[in-house]
Amino acid sequence: MREETRREAVWQFLAYAFILLGAVLTLVPLYWIFVASTLDEQEFLSTTEPRLIPGDSFLQNFESLQARGNVQFVGHPGEMTQYVDFGFGYVYYDVWHLWDLGALESSIFVAVVYTLLSLVLCSMAGFAFAKYEFRFKKPMFYAILATLILPIQLLVIPLFLLMSQIGLTNSYWAIILPWAANPLGIFLMRQNMRSIPDALLESARMDGATEFQLYYKIALPTMKSSLAALAIILFLFQWNLFLFPLVILEQGKYTIPVAINQLVGAQRVYYDQIMVAATLSIIPIVVLFLVLQKQFVSGILAGSVKE
Amino acid sequence: MSTITLDTLRKEFDSGDERIVAVDDIDLEIRDGEFLVLVGPSGCGKTTTLRCVAGLEDVTSGTIRFGDDDVTDLRARERDVAMVFQNYALYPHMNVRKNIGFGLKLSTQQSSADIDRQVEEVAEMLGIEDLLGQKPKELSGGQQQRVALGRAIIRDPEAFLMDEPLSNLDAKLRSQMRTELQTLQHDLDVTTVYVTHDQTEAMAMGDRIAVMNDGTLQQVGTAEAVYRSPVNEFVADFIGSPSINLFDATVDGNRLDGPGDFGYRLADTTPVEGYESVRVGVRPEDIELVADGIDIETKVLEPMGNENYLYADLGGHELTARVASTARPSPGDVVSFTFDEDALYLFDPETGEALKTKTEGERPGEDGHVEEVVG
Amino acid sequence: MATQDTASQATPTARDRLRFVRQSVSHRLPNAGEGLVGYLFLLPALLVFTVFLGFPILYTLYLSFFRFEGVSNETVFWFDLGFFSYELTRIADLTFVGLNNYTALLSDSLFHQALFNTTFILLVQVPLMVALALVFAVALNASFVRFKGVFRTVLALPVSANLVAYSTVFLLMMQDAGLVNYVLTSVGLPAIPWLTSSFWSRMTIVGAVTWRWTGYNMIILLAGLQTVPQQLYEAAEIDGASRFEKFRYVTIPQLRPVLLFVVVTSTIGTFKLFSEPVIINGGGAPLDSTITIVQYIYQTAFIDFRLGYASALTYVLIAVVSLLSAVQLNVGGEGDA
Repeated sequence: MREETRREAVWQFLAYAFILLGAVLTLVPLYWIFVASTLDEQEFLSTTEPRLIPGDSFLQNFESLQARGNVQFVGHPGEMTQYVDFGFGYVYYDVWHLWDLGALESSIFVAVVYTLLSLVLCSMAGFAFAKYEFRFKKPMFYAILATLILPIQLLVIPLFLLMSQIGLTNSYWAIILPWAANPLGIFLMRQNMRSIPDALLESARMDGATEFQLYYKIALPTMKSSLAALAIILFLFQWNLFLFPLVILEQGKYTIPVAINQLVGAQRVYYDQIMVAATLSIIPIVVLFLVLQKQFVSGILAGSVKE
Repeated sequence: MSTITLDTLRKEFDSGDERIVAVDDIDLEIRDGEFLVLVGPSGCGKTTTLRCVAGLEDVTSGTIRFGDDDVTDLRARERDVAMVFQNYALYPHMNVRKNIGFGLKLSTQQSSADIDRQVEEVAEMLGIEDLLGQKPKELSGGQQQRVALGRAIIRDPEAFLMDEPLSNLDAKLRSQMRTELQTLQHDLDVTTVYVTHDQTEAMAMGDRIAVMNDGTLQQVGTAEAVYRSPVNEFVADFIGSPSINLFDATVDGNRLDGPGDFGYRLADTTPVEGYESVRVGVRPEDIELVADGIDIETKVLEPMGNENYLYADLGGHELTARVASTARPSPGDVVSFTFDEDALYLFDPETGEALKTKTEGERPGEDGHVEEVVG
Repeated sequence: MATQDTASQATPTARDRLRFVRQSVSHRLPNAGEGLVGYLFLLPALLVFTVFLGFPILYTLYLSFFRFEGVSNETVFWFDLGFFSYELTRIADLTFVGLNNYTALLSDSLFHQALFNTTFILLVQVPLMVALALVFAVALNASFVRFKGVFRTVLALPVSANLVAYSTVFLLMMQDAGLVNYVLTSVGLPAIPWLTSSFWSRMTIVGAVTWRWTGYNMIILLAGLQTVPQQLYEAAEIDGASRFEKFRYVTIPQLRPVLLFVVVTSTIGTFKLFSEPVIINGGGAPLDSTITIVQYIYQTAFIDFRLGYASALTYVLIAVVSLLSAVQLNVGGEGDA
């Protein structure tokens, strides 16, 4: 019995040690980014000894990041030069010029619009596949399912040609639209919406609901948690897109990944600015992660639904 | 409120390459304000029939009329009927108030205040006025059931359609709700079609009962009529608990010879004329234990308190009898029984059609006996 | 209820009036048949899917048989109705080359190098990460471990780091005089040329990818572990199984479908590697030892503008990934019955 408890204690120790080591290794790079972003570049490069205490140069580094000509990381109020002249006065009409978007705002804007649009498209398609019968339903569903194993981010060549054909190069729509009918999203919504009892929909039909009301008054509200999980998957997908934005976006419209890449590519690496940019880019997601922890985990799990 | 008329209603489903006939040319009239119970074993087409009336299924052929209006091609939301589902189908994301008011919000042009007031009236009537702010998952089964009823009542529909609404409740609550439902239906005087597989429930609740089997309507009539005068062996077997004892017997003049020791002399041979053999039916409650009669061997005795159920062997056939609680034969004991000829049922061995039903103490109900026979 | 006639009608609020308008609109719309309703719900997604995914998938295949000469403005089809005119131009100026792109692949040493690099990274990274994720999951699943939620969150945090941002951080940490070498030398180990040796630069990528995705896969495995019935462990315990035997004969077989999923998605993920090598190794340094297939496709297509050849490369990659997934699913799915 004593032997048993001693062995148990060893196992417990090992498990804790392993988990703690993992947690430390996970956190070190994240913490290090933060510390480095608060240090002066000279200070940072002068010593090989890593610093653990944050410095006070964050704002200064941020300013030098903002002062760069080719990359606008955080936006600023725009010059509203676009207006309609009515003769007796003019009206500014271009809301986009109220604020010139920097990479941070571009990324957030694109990810939010993409997530909302994709949620609508995927949930409607999922609802159709789950709750209606129509011709060619199965072949269409399997066609969409098959694209799940395709690395769809790789379709940049034809997409690039297509976008230049329809005049969407250097437009946010170019990086929002191609994945808006996300195959994974359609698949997940279809799986989850199958669990809505038919009686619930029939009951609403008898209460006088139209088919579209079934979708947005019954199906959507009961799918809240699945939608939240899917929203996270979609948001992260768009947030991390790099290859296609790099190809299609031009200076001034860069999203975060492309913008940070600009800081690295040149002859000289701007450590201080990169670190500030990295910190700023991680903060929104970490906040999102901590606030929506439960949905985050279920989002990851939703993405792993077995077929 | 109106009469519902089904005229040669037919519903077929595609299943792979074959067509399945779920409802086979049914003719049925449900009277204004009547409580009609559709009963039958599972898969008999009763729920499909109900769903056709609701407008949830397209019919293959035939017509459905509410009063004089042909509603066959109308969709569910245009028919003005309300349905209570087996699992209640309450909207999980709405509280009780919204659940009950949802139908009015969607289909009428009444103000929210008016709708709210009606929701409160209905809730009070059902005794759930304290639950209006709660979500369905916080309610017990009985409370959910009431909300589902409230949702139907508030619409003041042409008809209530109920699909096994009590089957998810425990036994005690079920019998309580049964009475409540009947009272409610009587007070509201709304034409009601009620589907169940439980014949006891059907007998207890229905003004009339429609027995279905294999997509066809077997018999429509009052509880007493279908119990006493079943049109065929299926109805006799399905109605009544415990079930009627049924076995084959050969006809020899006025004598019936059945399994084991069974032999019975008929006073009136008209029903069996021209038959060499018949199916004999005797209800368990008509069996009397006597000193000298047909011998059976006791197998199990189930005391029910007020009476005992006796399961015995009659020539390899299990015979059920309801006997007095004082009669306590032990397993293995041989006892004798007999029954009145009035209580005897006889059926055609080929078609199952009734040749003779109960005649003793005949009291024609206001609905008479056999009303409609199809198939 | 039949009460409408008794009580005075309350006046509808503004919201009610909005409701009535919506009602009369929705009830005036024609009733779509059952079959049509499904299509109507599907239509928006199907349209986007066809144009932006269906078409590119097929067009990539088409392109792979051509040589790209440039973007074209040549009109293929036009009409002019006076008030409305339409002109369809060709997408690209192409010369048909048959299977030349594919045969060229056979003798393209850089492609072979990229294929080798990707396979090398795959063979080291996927087993390492899956093993780590499994150990973390089993440890966190142990009944005695406290603060499970906190540890789970911490380990999964790297998923939230932006791909490019975290790659940059690895670039900095792995410098010759970077954080990692500082730690190594301060405990008396030799410094490692993380970015300048071809072997170690691949290891750097392995490390970076593992850092980012281990927690993610751990969460999936943890969820899988929680579905293993406790009675199986109790039965094994009664049969006298050791801790390892329980892991080997209960956990692994029960977890098989989830493990399979993790392996397949990780494999696909590794084939898609792009940002990490581009940023950490500045596009294949040293000496193309870290160039990955996707990176090579990017270079061919958008730096050399050989779109036809890049399309052929894409299709070969898609074929390899699909084949590998199919094989993994086949092997891993065996004995499920």
